[in-house]
Order: sequence, then C-alpha cells, then structure tokens
Amino acid sequence: MSTRLTKMRWATAFGATVALALAGCSGGGEGSTSGDDPIVVGISLPLTGDFSEPGKGVQRGYQAWAKIVNDKGGLLGRQVELKILDDQSNADRVVSDYEQLIGQDQVDIVVGPFSTRLVVPAARVAEEYGMLFVEPAGAAKEVFEQGFKNLFYAAPAVANDHYNHLAEYILALPAGQRPTTAAYAAMDDPFAQGTAYGLKEKLEAGGVRTVVDEVYPPNTTEFSGIAAKIASSKADLVVGGSQYQDGVNLIVALQQLAYQPKLAAFSTAPTSPEFAAAIGNKTEGILAPTGYTQKAPYPSNVEFVEKYTAQFGTPPEEDEANAYTTGQVVAAAITAVGCAEQGECQQKLVDWVRGNTVETVVGPLSWDATGKPKGAHMIQQWVGGEIQIVLPADAKETDIVYPKPAW
Amino acid sequence: MTSGALIFQSVILGLLLGGLYALLASGLTLYFGIMRVVMIAHSAFLILAAYLAWWSQTRLGVDPLLSLVVTVPLFFAAGVLLQRGLLSRLRPATLTMMSVLLTFAIAVIIEGLLGYAFTGTQRRIQLGYGTANLELLGARIAVVKLIAFGLAVAALLTLYLLLKRTTFGWALRATIQHPDAARLVGIDTNRVAGYGFGIGLATAAVGGTALALDTTIYPSLHWHWIGPLMAIIVVGGLGSVPGAAAAAMVLGLTQSLLQIPLNTTWAQTIFYLALFATLAFRPQGFFGGRLAQRF
Repeated sequence: MSTRLTKMRWATAFGATVALALAGCSGGGEGSTSGDDPIVVGISLPLTGDFSEPGKGVQRGYQAWAKIVNDKGGLLGRQVELKILDDQSNADRVVSDYEQLIGQDQVDIVVGPFSTRLVVPAARVAEEYGMLFVEPAGAAKEVFEQGFKNLFYAAPAVANDHYNHLAEYILALPAGQRPTTAAYAAMDDPFAQGTAYGLKEKLEAGGVRTVVDEVYPPNTTEFSGIAAKIASSKADLVVGGSQYQDGVNLIVALQQLAYQPKLAAFSTAPTSPEFAAAIGNKTEGILAPTGYTQKAPYPSNVEFVEKYTAQFGTPPEEDEANAYTTGQVVAAAITAVGCAEQGECQQKLVDWVRGNTVETVVGPLSWDATGKPKGAHMIQQWVGGEIQIVLPADAKETDIVYPKPAW
Repeated sequence: MTSGALIFQSVILGLLLGGLYALLASGLTLYFGIMRVVMIAHSAFLILAAYLAWWSQTRLGVDPLLSLVVTVPLFFAAGVLLQRGLLSRLRPATLTMMSVLLTFAIAVIIEGLLGYAFTGTQRRIQLGYGTANLELLGARIAVVKLIAFGLAVAALLTLYLLLKRTTFGWALRATIQHPDAARLVGIDTNRVAGYGFGIGLATAAVGGTALALDTTIYPSLHWHWIGPLMAIIVVGGLGSVPGAAAAAMVLGLTQSLLQIPLNTTWAQTIFYLALFATLAFRPQGFFGGRLAQRF
C-alpha cells in the first residue's frame, strides 16, 4: 500500500519534473546537450516508522531545494531530480537503500537520511563507493569518530559547540562584570548533555568555577531538589542541558526558590512555541542556542522562507532547513567543480567541500577533517517578550541583555 | 560544605513532596485493602485528572481547584462502575493477577485516549501564582506546592474521618478486614466494595489536580509514577492508608535529603531499595498493614 503510494508520488514528481524541464527548454532555449539529462539525487528517508515526522520534514526540505534550484534553471544547466526511498526508520533498510541507489539506480549524487542512528550505516555505504556524503542530521560525536572521509554535516555545529558564541561573549566581559561561578544541570542524554558540557569546558578553561554539576534521568519531573542545590550555591550563571519539559520544570523550580542568576541559558526549551505560556511568561533574559530560525538574516534564508512558505503553506522548521542546507552545500560543490556523476567527479566534489566555505540558510559553513562543522549556533534571548537573536554580532536582531533582569 | 540552609530547604521540600506522594498513593492502597486488586491504572487516572484540570483551566478559564467540584464526583462514579462492571466479574481465585492485566489495559486505553484528544505535547497549567513563594526562616516555600500539600492533608483527613467515624466507614473496614464475617452481620460487601473503589478513584481526582499544579503533564507520564507509588504502598503495608501516608512522608523526605550528596538518579532509587528491603525483611510492611501478603 505504502509502496504503491510512494510509486504514485514518484510518478507525479517525475511528471512534474519532466514538465518543468520541457518548459525550461522551450522557454530558455539554451539547448545544451546535458540539459536533457537530469542530475539524479538519491536519498533514503524514514517516511514511515519512528522517525516519520522529522523524516517527512527533511523530505519537504529536499523538495523545496530541488524546486528552487530547478526554477532557476537547474545546476550546470541540468534539472535536479530527487529519488527518495522509504527506509521505514530501519538501519538495515537504509544500507540496502543506498546500495540500490548507487549500484542499481546509478544516481549522480547521494545525500544523507535522518537521525544519527541511520546516518552512520548510510555513510559507510557512500564511503565504500567513494561518493560525497553531505547529511542533514547526526550531530552526535560518534558520527565523526568513524573515520569517514566523504562525510559532511550540513548544520552550524555539533552539540558541544552550540554555545561557542556565548562562551566567547562571557569570557570577553571585563573582569568586574564577568561571572565567576556557574551551575550546570543536564539531562542524561548525549545531545542535551553535550550542549551544557561544551559550554562548561570552555568556561572552566576561562576561569569560571563550577559550583553545581547535576545530571538527571530523562523522565525526571520533580526538579525542586536540583533547584535547591543551585539556589543555595548562588551561582552567577545557570546552564541547563535540557530538552523541553525538563527545562520548563527546572526554570519554574528555580523561580519558586527566588534564585536570580545574572545569566540563564537553556537548550531547546526556550525556542519552543509553548515555552512562554508554560512558565507563565516569566521568560525575560533567558538564553538559548538555536541551529535555525526563520528570522536569520542570511540572504539565501530570506528566499528559502518565502519560497518554502509559498510551496507548503507553513514556514520551514529546523528539519526542513537542515535538508535545504544539505542541498545548498551539494549545489555549491557541483557548480564550482562543474560535474555531477559517479566516478572521479565525486572525489573532486569532496575535495572542494573540504577546502571551501559555503553560504547557506544557517550562515557560512566550513568543515574540519572529520566532516564536523566549524561553526557555532546562534544565541537567542527572550527580550521584550519575544525570542530574538543576540549573538553573533553580525546576525543579531537586538543587543544581549546582561546581567539578565529578574525573572 | 553543605550549608544548613540547604538542608533546611531540602527538609521543607521533602515534606511537601511526601505529602503529595501520600495523596497519590492513598487510593492505591485502598483498592488493595478492599479487594486485593493491584490497580495499575491508578496513576493513569491521576494523569487523566491532571489533564481535566489543565483543560478546564486553559479552555474554560476555571481555576484548577474549582474543577474538583466536577472531577471528584465523576471519578467516584467511574470507580463504582469500574468495580461493579469489570473487577467484580474476575474470578476470586486469580483476582490479584488478573486485576493487573485488566487495569494495565485500562491504563493503556486512558493513555491512548489522552494522546488522541490532547496529543503528546507536554502541557503545563499556567497560574498567576505559579512561581509565587513565601519565605520561612530563609527557606522558600512555593505557593503551588503548599496548595498541593493542603489538598493532600484535606483529602487524607476526610478519608480518615470517613473510615473511622461513619457507618459506611465501619462497613468498609469490616469488608477490608474480613469479608465473610462482614457478610454474616448483614453488610452488602459488594456494594460497599464498589463505593470503596469509587472513593479510591476520587482521591485520584484530587491527586491528579494537585500534581497538575506544579509539573508538566503528558499522556505517558503515568508509567513514571506507578513504580514509586507501588513501592510506597508496599513499604507502608498493603491496604493501610495511614501506613501509606507515613511511608510516603518518610520516602519523600529521604529522597529530598539524598539529593544533596547524591544526584537525582541515585536519589530516586530509594523507592526501590525500600521496596526490596521491605519484601526481604518485613513483607507485611513497616507501618500497620495486618493484611499484607506476598504477591
């Protein structure tokens, strides 16, 4: 049933692509020979199963990228065609999917699936065939410890680097204003903990003393104990390595104990649309790192948000943006190198991505030898009742408020 | 290193937490006392009540405490129906075990319906006094926690008076202590058991509302609660409401104080350590609990 649906969807998408290609030819009349031969991009995505929600988001991101590229005449004069297989969120399926895409279907380019669990096996296949592998998910550090040479993570930063801009800002404060003590509370989860510990490492190296360092299990709902420890330490700043509900409960518990830090930073929770209502609008001054926001001023982002919204009716979220970013990186490499097919071309694409910086919807991206992005997340802060970008300076909507007002 | 202020603060938090635990566990021990039923769905009903409190506050603008006027009678009726319609039909020989299966199914159904009606999104009641607090000798007491504690005290006191001072309470206690003898002296034990079950579920309405005042809720949250609540009623002696209350206070306080030297993960294990210790050394429970048996 689902395969038939997928096929039908494919037929429709293919038909649309052909129609677009024909329209492009008759209208533009460039008539290059390679213009008849689309660049086929192979992707395996979890369209059903555990990761189907984010999987579909990633799919929409790729679709938006293909449409925007094709509307402008394609890459190297060739149209872009997506070939998407459903891996059903299954790591075994993802391997055979990429084998099929590269071996049997002879796609020109492959890009990554969704979630760390699926990125690693998929990257292994791509590596075997010597294909460039840009991926939109898989921020955990294991991805970069596998020795992949063709993999690039198309996002600003891995978890440990999310707070880099904030760390720089804090350590650059004059001695009299700089916080001297810090309290950390992080969920026992590689991503959430990674964000808090990334900042902790940098602040400790810069001389900010750690006075509380708590880790709690993911199902914790009772935070008054942790809050009591943090409040009694009177730490200058508090950092939460949080997801959603834990961040909300911890903030409320801290407020109940009348704890007033100079700076409060929490991952994920503060960027959620429900956040302000959940903590009773006492949000003023709370900071959060963010990988993507529709408001980011990068030129291609303005175009992305506008055209994506026109295509799908709602503005894009982070999953969509990460997929789009992946497409942008691949497109930049193809345009610069001047080829898109299997074989020697792939190594040229890899070398180009490794050596260059790409302008994307999440800002300029460049990578180290393991494929880890060298950037950091933007930092947003609740100022005047809305969440606004405050760091880095070149992307800010308003100035960072420090010390934060009482909450 | 540890300051006296932190210990004092933790004692206060522990007592408030223990009060909440006592309220949440009271219904669970009552069911077991009345008819040897292990009611896995109790915490699912707590979450259901929490959702109703949230819903009435968000959608109808009614203070969650006022929603009790509706939810308490509603849950009482649901409890009577549940006991008369389903649990009393189980065969006495396998009652305890089959009740686990039956109430497990009810818990899953409630969770599924909550997810269907309200989605899996985490919800939190937004109260004007959500972060308001009072100062007591340097320690802070959150108003919402105090209200939850007040609800617990009021509900448990009502339950106590009901059991000790009313004819119905005598009949209920007789049914708990010796159903056959109770029938001999003319007590309609089936009807009494039904009402007793209703009262147990009514405490879930109060408990769920108290819970919703100060925590985020989501449909599968009940799995997180059932373990500690089961541990509390075993430690307190199955079937004994005062025993459950005492065990809840002790465990809540211990958990809160253990949080100072240990982390959250280890502080939570106190429930299971206490459970193991109880089953190993004193299976009838540490507080009262004449009825308790291994199961």
